[in-house]
Parts: sequence; structure tokens; C-alpha cells
Amino acid sequence: MTELLRAEHLTRHFKIGGIMSRRTLHAVDDVTFSIGEREIVALAGESGSGKSTIARVLARVYKPTSGEVYFEDKPLSAIRSRRDGLRYSSLVPMVFQDPFASINPVFRVQHGILRIFKLHRPELPARQRPEEAARVFGVVGLSTDMLQRFPYELSGGQRQRVGFAQALAMRPKLILADEPVSMLDVSIRIGLLNLMAKLRDEEGVSILYITHDIASARYVADRLIVMYAGQIAESGPIEDVLTTPKHPYTQLLLSAVPDPMAPLSQVTDRGEPPKVVDPAPGCRFRWRCPLAIEECSAVTPVPAELLPGHEVACHVAQTGADVRAFAS
Amino acid sequence: MSEAHEILEVSGLSVDYVLPQGEIRAVDDVSFTVDRGEFLGIVGESGCGKSTLLFAVAQLLASPAHLAAGTVTFKGANLVGLTDKQLSAVRWRDLSVVMQSAMNALNPVKSIGAQFKDALQAHGKPSKQEIATRSAEVMRMVGIDPVHLKSYPHQLSGGMRQRSMIAMAMLFTPDLIIMDEPTSALDVVAQRALMMQIKELQQTYGFAVIFVTHDMSLISHFSDRLMVMYAGQIDELGATRTIFDRPLHPYTQGLLEAFPSIHGPRVPLKGIPGNPPDMALVPAGCRFHPRCPHAIERCTAIAPDLYPVDGDLVRCLRRKDGTLPDDPGAHLAQDGSVTL
Repeated sequence: MTELLRAEHLTRHFKIGGIMSRRTLHAVDDVTFSIGEREIVALAGESGSGKSTIARVLARVYKPTSGEVYFEDKPLSAIRSRRDGLRYSSLVPMVFQDPFASINPVFRVQHGILRIFKLHRPELPARQRPEEAARVFGVVGLSTDMLQRFPYELSGGQRQRVGFAQALAMRPKLILADEPVSMLDVSIRIGLLNLMAKLRDEEGVSILYITHDIASARYVADRLIVMYAGQIAESGPIEDVLTTPKHPYTQLLLSAVPDPMAPLSQVTDRGEPPKVVDPAPGCRFRWRCPLAIEECSAVTPVPAELLPGHEVACHVAQTGADVRAFAS
Repeated sequence: MSEAHEILEVSGLSVDYVLPQGEIRAVDDVSFTVDRGEFLGIVGESGCGKSTLLFAVAQLLASPAHLAAGTVTFKGANLVGLTDKQLSAVRWRDLSVVMQSAMNALNPVKSIGAQFKDALQAHGKPSKQEIATRSAEVMRMVGIDPVHLKSYPHQLSGGMRQRSMIAMAMLFTPDLIIMDEPTSALDVVAQRALMMQIKELQQTYGFAVIFVTHDMSLISHFSDRLMVMYAGQIDELGATRTIFDRPLHPYTQGLLEAFPSIHGPRVPLKGIPGNPPDMALVPAGCRFHPRCPHAIERCTAIAPDLYPVDGDLVRCLRRKDGTLPDDPGAHLAQDGSVTL
């Protein structure tokens, strides 16, 4: 698969507390991953694990503290001019979690789309814009007359489709979708997930799908990256990771997913999130991990490939031991 | 179950919102009972009236919502029409409510312990010692170290805040705890831990739970009975396991098919076409008919009642007649014509 985007040793820290404070929040620490062409990569983890920070670094909202992101082999830090910046944001647009807050309420829906054509696709003649807007709306499953509506006239699912239409209007290569379905009703979600798959299959767009919902990730994604406390715990082809999870945290996560058709697994973990303010070296999951060994409190584990394309950052798994921390 | 086991009986409850553009009926003629020690799950999408129903049961409705009809009989007494003073004798002691967002439900400028003290002092004059003992006791019940009684809400994690809300609800060991999506702000692991905790406490102390959620799969292993709401009405009411194994209403079927699973083969799902109705423009006939794959002409004209089918209650004309496609003999419609 051709690589589209690559993040190398990406790190983003935030200073917290007052101006005299020296405390640092390690939101993302030494994260390396890539996204291929026509690929949906799911980025999963609990709140505070650094998922959204990664999306914001990729969208150039935050500059990385260290590390580099390469898009089509060109580093993002080399983007200097407004023109290059606009070009990048049109190739890598974002779709946000809250469809009620991400569309301008005082304009008709078409305003956002037409403005995108004006800003990002100057080569498109003005008289062709309405036609192109209608085409984009068709792709996301909205009728053309929706273009004339105001956002308040649309349902949550329709608004989120507008969000995807706005992203698609830029002719993107990679869409950063931060929890795009979590605020929608259950009966509407599947439609949006199907739309994401359609964008990949028919429009050739890659998607970074940020979610805390593993089941929906499995439904659309090709690859899964599991984050824990700002680091990657496990990554790989999604079916491999879900059928043979190697990291104790992935196993815990899977055991807690509610599934009406499976017997109830006993989860003893309380689900207390880790502190990532000035963390000491060592595995950040070790306090919750029933398998932690001495090495875990001394050395921070680094992802290693244990199966083809399947990387795990766990000392115990890397010894070749059969990790069964939590039964799912 | 005999009448004596019933702790709550809701009968013909309707709630209207009085808005400038007219009255909107958010909850329409809802009746159900809760037995002592029972766990009743209420599921539905946003705007289906599940939270409004819950507020009506707890007598917490505020303008523009008001109770249009119905009774709420709790332990033999009708709560409807009671004054705030009369209600406060019942609240916390016999019936408590855990709200969706603990961050907003807890007072941010008071320590957890001080809030427990307030609740305890609302019913009687406990001594300092009694307050301290009981507060520590309920904190231990929900698995939080009592040192956190000195903590302020912002110092606790989301899961701990929700658990301390539940601890507070249990101060008087009430007979009924009403919970409105208490886990929706939590991660899956914390969510599961909290559900196990609630179930365990319920089994130990024998209180009944009404649990409102939009996530059916969450309560599949925890609730005894399940009530599915759509557009302000009950669509289906029955034993939880039965509903998951054999959903009767097309809406319930659609909801169950809208959840991808992490087990089994990856199959394409369709969800439910369309959107939940605007409550100001409720469709005539069956309220679900514009989204229903099995709707026939009759469904657009006749508003269905709740019919008993196989021990459950279901609001579907075709299910009552046994003409839904998954019914045995469904290919033979009543008039003898064959449908597929």
C-alpha cells in the first residue's frame, strides 16, 4: 500500500498550572504510525489518551513538541506560506464531533460548500460551482434541495453528512474524523459509517477515524491503533488485533465492550485513567496490569512487530509469552 | 408478581411542553410498573421522551413541561399533586435520582462530604458521628476510599464522580433509584465497572432501579425488563433477554441491527432509514410507519395500541395480526392474499 501520511516520534506536551509551574502534561509521547492511500485507520482509546491531540497536530492546529509528520513524504514543518498551508488543509480536512456546532447557523448550507470552492479550488469556474456542490451532496447521500436549507432545519445525521460534504468538496486525500458519529442516535450512526466506507471505496479517500467505540471501528476500519496515556499500546490490521489482542490494555478494552449476544465477561478493573503529568519512565499501564513485571516499572516499552504488521508495546508480550491479562 | 411486590405504578402518564407555537406532547399515555428490587431499562433515541418520562416519575418537571394526565403511585401513594414539602419527605429517603452528568449534578464549591451531610440533614437530625459513619459507609459501598469525602468534585475522575453520586443516592438505602444515563460520559472500561457495581449493590440492598439509556447493548446483561420508547410512546415492553433474542417491534429489530459487533462475521448493516420524528409533527397512524420496512397502508391510518403478544407488549398492528414477515404464516395475509 502506498503511504500517504507518516508520523515519526510525534510528541506533544502542554505546560499546565501557573506561569511558575514546571509541570508538563504529556498528551502525546513518541508516537509513530502511518496511514496508507485508500485506508481507514481507527484511532481508539479512552478520553485523555491523546487521540484528539494527534488529530489536531495532523491538522496543523498544534505544532508538535518534537517529532515530525510527513504528508506525501514532505514534512509539515516545511509548510511556510499561506498558500501551502491552505493546500494542505484542503488535502487533509477535518470533520468534527458535534454537527450542531461545526456548521455556521446563519448561512444556508450551500454557503460553506461554495466558499470552499472559492478558497480551495480557484480553478473551478464560478458557474460550475452549484453543479459541483450538487454532485458532492449526492455522494454523501443528501438531496440537492438540502443545499438551500439552514442548518437548524437538518437533523443531526444530515448535518454530519454536510460535514463530510464540506470535507469532500476540497477533494481531500485524508479526512480527519474526530468522533464523527458519537453524538448521533444509534439508528443513524450506521448510515454515516457506511458513508465513510463509501468515500474510501468510491472516492479513494483515506480516513483517520478517531473513536472510543471499538465495534464501530471494526465495522469500517482496515487498521486499528490503540492508544493508552499518550502512547500507542498496540496497532495492526483490525481483525488481527481484535482476534488476537496482545497488549493487556487492548484485552481489557475488548472485555468491557458491551455485547448483548455474548456472555458477560467479568471485568474487575475500575477504569481509572492514568496520570500523564511528568510521567516517570516505565509502562504507563503497569498499575492496572495484572501481568506487570519488574522491567515494566523501569523501562518504557516501545512498539515491536510481533506478527506481520501487528505491533505491540508490552514487555511481557515481547518476551513471546502468551498474554492473557483480561478474558474477553 | 402480586400487587404487594409493586413499588411503582405509572398509569396513563402524559407530559406536554407548552411552547409559543403550541403544545407538544413529549410523553404520551405511558403506563408501566416496577417491582421491588427490579431493574427496568428504558431505551430510546434522543427526543423519544425517555428523560422527560423519568422527570415526570420523579416529579421534577419544570416549566415549560407539565404533567397533562396520569398518576405515579409510589409505595401506595400518588406522587402527582403533592407539594414540594410533601415530596421532599420522599426524595432521597425512599426514592433518589442519579443524573446524567455528575459534573453538573454535584455542587462544585462543596466537598463531597458536605453534600452528603446536606442530604442526611434534610431528613432528621443526625449527629456528627452518625453523618461521618454513614458517609464513609456509602463511599465504601461504591468502592471509593472515604478520604475522598474531603475532596471536591473537580478532584475526582469522571467514574469516581458518578460513583459518588450513586453513593449519595444510597444514603438512606431508598426503595427506588432512578438513573438517567449515568454512564454516558464514561469510557467503556469505567462504564462496565459502574454497571457491575450498580448490579451488585442492587442485589445486596434490594432497591429497584429504573435505568434510562440510549445504548441498548449496555444494559442487555443487567436489566430484568426492557422498555423501548419511540416518539413519546412505549413501543415494546418485555423481559430483556426475550427482547434481545426475539424483538417484536420493527423499531426494536432495527435498533438491534444498528449495532456493529466485535464478535462474529463483519456483516454490512443498514440501520434505520430516516430520522426520529419532530414531536410537533408526529406522523398519523403508527408513529414509526415512515421508517418501517414493513409498513402497509393500514399502518398509516390506524394508531396502534400496545398489544400483548407472547407475554410482551408491542405497539404494532401487523405483529398483533401475525402478518409481519418473520411471523409463521406471515405470507398469508388476513384477506388471504399472499405478501412477501
